[in-house]
Amino acid sequence: MESNAKNNPTPNINDIPDALFTRAEFHEELSEEAGFSNYSYWRSTIRTFFKSTVVKVIVALLIALVAYTVIYPMITDRDPYAVALSAREWNLPPSAEHPFGTDGVGRDIWARVWFGTRTSLLLSLAVAIFEVGLGVIIGAIWGFYRKLDTLMFAIYNTLTNVPSTIYLVLIAYIMKPSIFTIMIALVATGWISEARWFRSRILALREADYNIASICLKTPPKRIISRNVVPYLVSLIIMDVALTIPSSIGSEVFLSFIGVGLPADLCTLGNLVNQGRSAFLVYPYQMICPTLILCFITISFYIIGNKFADASDPRNHV
Amino acid sequence: MREKIFEAKDVVIKFNLRGHTLTAIRGASIDLYDGETLAIVGESGSGKSVFTKSFIGMLDTNGWVEQGEMLLDGVNIAKYKTEKEWLKVRGKKIAMVFQDPMTSLNPVKTIGEQIREVITYQFGTDKAQAKKEAIELLRQVGINDPELRYKQYPHEFSGGMRQRVVIATAIACRPKILICDEPTTALDVTVQAQILDLIKRLQKEMDMSVIYITHDLGVVANVADRVAVMYAGQIVEHGLANEIFKDARHPYTKALLMSLPQLGVKGHELHSIKGTPPNLYKEIKGDAFAPRNPDAMKVDYEYEPPFFKVSDTHYAKTWLMSDKAANYRAELAKAHEQTEKIEPLPPKDYSNGKKLVSVRNLYVNFKLNRKEFSAVKDVSFDIYEGETFSLVGESGSGKTTTGKAIMKICHTSSGDIYYDGMKVNGKMNNHELTEFRKNVQMIFQDPMASLNERAKVDYIISEGLYNFHLFKNEKERKQKVIDAMHSVGLMEEYATRFPHEFSGGQRQRIGIARALAVEPRFIIADEPISALDVSIRAQVINLLNRLKAEKGFTYMFIAHDLSVVRFISDRIAVMYKGRIVELAESEELFLNPLHPYTNALLQAAPVPDPDIERGKKLVVYNPAMHDYATDKPAWTEIKKGHFVWANEREADEYRKILK
Repeated sequence: MESNAKNNPTPNINDIPDALFTRAEFHEELSEEAGFSNYSYWRSTIRTFFKSTVVKVIVALLIALVAYTVIYPMITDRDPYAVALSAREWNLPPSAEHPFGTDGVGRDIWARVWFGTRTSLLLSLAVAIFEVGLGVIIGAIWGFYRKLDTLMFAIYNTLTNVPSTIYLVLIAYIMKPSIFTIMIALVATGWISEARWFRSRILALREADYNIASICLKTPPKRIISRNVVPYLVSLIIMDVALTIPSSIGSEVFLSFIGVGLPADLCTLGNLVNQGRSAFLVYPYQMICPTLILCFITISFYIIGNKFADASDPRNHV
Repeated sequence: MREKIFEAKDVVIKFNLRGHTLTAIRGASIDLYDGETLAIVGESGSGKSVFTKSFIGMLDTNGWVEQGEMLLDGVNIAKYKTEKEWLKVRGKKIAMVFQDPMTSLNPVKTIGEQIREVITYQFGTDKAQAKKEAIELLRQVGINDPELRYKQYPHEFSGGMRQRVVIATAIACRPKILICDEPTTALDVTVQAQILDLIKRLQKEMDMSVIYITHDLGVVANVADRVAVMYAGQIVEHGLANEIFKDARHPYTKALLMSLPQLGVKGHELHSIKGTPPNLYKEIKGDAFAPRNPDAMKVDYEYEPPFFKVSDTHYAKTWLMSDKAANYRAELAKAHEQTEKIEPLPPKDYSNGKKLVSVRNLYVNFKLNRKEFSAVKDVSFDIYEGETFSLVGESGSGKTTTGKAIMKICHTSSGDIYYDGMKVNGKMNNHELTEFRKNVQMIFQDPMASLNERAKVDYIISEGLYNFHLFKNEKERKQKVIDAMHSVGLMEEYATRFPHEFSGGQRQRIGIARALAVEPRFIIADEPISALDVSIRAQVINLLNRLKAEKGFTYMFIAHDLSVVRFISDRIAVMYKGRIVELAESEELFLNPLHPYTNALLQAAPVPDPDIERGKKLVVYNPAMHDYATDKPAWTEIKKGHFVWANEREADEYRKILK
């Protein structure tokens, strides 16, 4: 809708037919329509988000990468767990047949990286969803019932003042190493900071007039949270998930690195980096290749998360 | 006529917004003469701020002057591109005072430093000299003890004092032109009168020309020599203040003046302007006001009108003034004459009816910096069924807190509130609370903040219906939503839209529909029109009055603007610093105001008539005038139904006045 009025140039007054100088019909709808704005929060957010070339490139690459991790197992018959018995297949440098070379027992690193990326992405996505989901729900309740402050702050202080490595290691020791254990370990340490962050957001929203209006209508708190508060946080939630993914991949790598992560025979980025480390001095590519993919994934999620945070701020919708 | 010192010709200003190019100013021209005061009047979105900001090169970064000239001392400043060029003009020749004194001062610097900086920066004066000048400026804008105040920070100043400081920084470089962008909108009426007075005095002392930008026609009547009316990015009419107020020719100006609540006849509908002002996204064809003008001509939809001369100083941009429209003009004039002169209805007395709401000795205390203070002190009143009761006061008077306490969304410290015999403050059982919430509803001040942006209009209006299970099936609920929308003048198709698609006035009507849907008996309206555009206010006032007549609502109206209150209310209570100082039937209060604060408030409220405004004297209320040391004040009935907070001696005087 361009407003550069494509106005008819006003002709000489004598050329205007006299018939036009009579009462026109009045349409009430037209007078009301004049004020409408076509501003839409989501449309503007997405437009602002994709304005930057960096975002376009990163999103394209990331989609390609994720798609490839899904497609790869379907199109290849190479088994990432297949060990070569012949020593000639061990520690091969990158070649056409093995783009990232092979490791100490002759497994193809290219195949392992893609299987590993898929496991790690799925794991971190699950962690991010559970962590942020729990954080939103608990944060909303915490923000709405001020009586919970004492209890929740006690939990918050306890959980955040003890280094999270300690619980991660403890939980990983107590339970059997598995994907499920890692998920519990990561969610258990992360939810409280999310909850506190959402609590402060909700406190700011709670006093808004439209929520007071709902209170005046005796809307139950459950519906105030689900209809009035959480929808305002959707963009924050998306951003938060995007930022939690790289940090949970990082934690998984760290845990695998110190040996309490996932079982060593499972393909994950953490295990790959860890296994590559032992041979780093002799065969550096065995660690560098998985690390490059890891870096790309984490950095792109960070950039996307931050750019999305900027784009979701209505002040930037210019 | 004095010398022309500034001239803007056919200015077109465009903006890049969300991928579109919008035209904010569509060819506006203005002349400014030496020493005069020009007021630019317009609603939000009319482009008045953008237009004047372009005079000092302060457009937002996404906006630019597309064409036109701005001549200052023979130089076309519209051609200026760099900051360096603008600095020759900004501050030195043209200075600006902004709306909100809270945001235009730096909070971490003393105010003295901020003024001194301006002086040393612009003139290179040495520090000691500049300090002297700054203190002199502070004295000039009416700040007591300027030496002491020089060292204070903005947070130690009240809103009015801050605006004085902002004015001091603006006049520090002795500009020829001072632009005041809504300088008093954020201030209380009594403070507003003082600031307007100050600007007038400074203008005389320093021989400046002043441009006021405002939406308040009362302020315009008070200050302006000449008035320009803006609508949809164009000046539609300009002339001397008296010509505009007494002999407006453009349909928009006429309608705007007629819709003022000050001119309303009690008991009848206000003249209201239909619809909403156009926003920049819309393509404008012909006369921008035509779609809202029931008397528009066909030509208004086709071609943009040129300016027609009314007198040497008065021009109007409407086809109505052309010779060809003479017949139609006569037809309109005849129709106007035929509308009968309406007489105000006599005030109704509700005091024999049922007391719907009773407030008894209400106190609400807040803690601020560990000190406890009472926002509401010993407030008692009754509201009778069917009446409109108004609570008037300035910011900080406790009027909104009282409203919230009745609404049960704010704590109370002591005292009782009863609604229909139920005690409201303190614990209520679930059944009582449901009953109370269903019957008592609130309309909020800011329509931008009071609607859930993420829900459709359908849900917003149905919210109460869901909560109180007021429908048997989906069809009945839909019907109720449609009924509520019709009764506030919204079309039923709007139910599927989101609030952000509506303008302020439409949003306020959605808010009213939400309250209406649950069929309440008592409605608290917290400044329901103060955030709305002037042309929309009458619509909302009429709507509230019509609903009262149709559905028998009882209203409590909270306002700071006495003019609106007079038109709409049956009884008025005036609050000052948490206490009701006077309560009377509405006409009685306006005819015989007794308490000195009521007097000050009445005097300060601007009236849209230049003749009255110019002869007005400023009355300042000083609470120290009461001598309550020995003779304690009490709530005294001076005449039937007219109460004042006064001591024995004052009460005797008041009785004498009324005799």
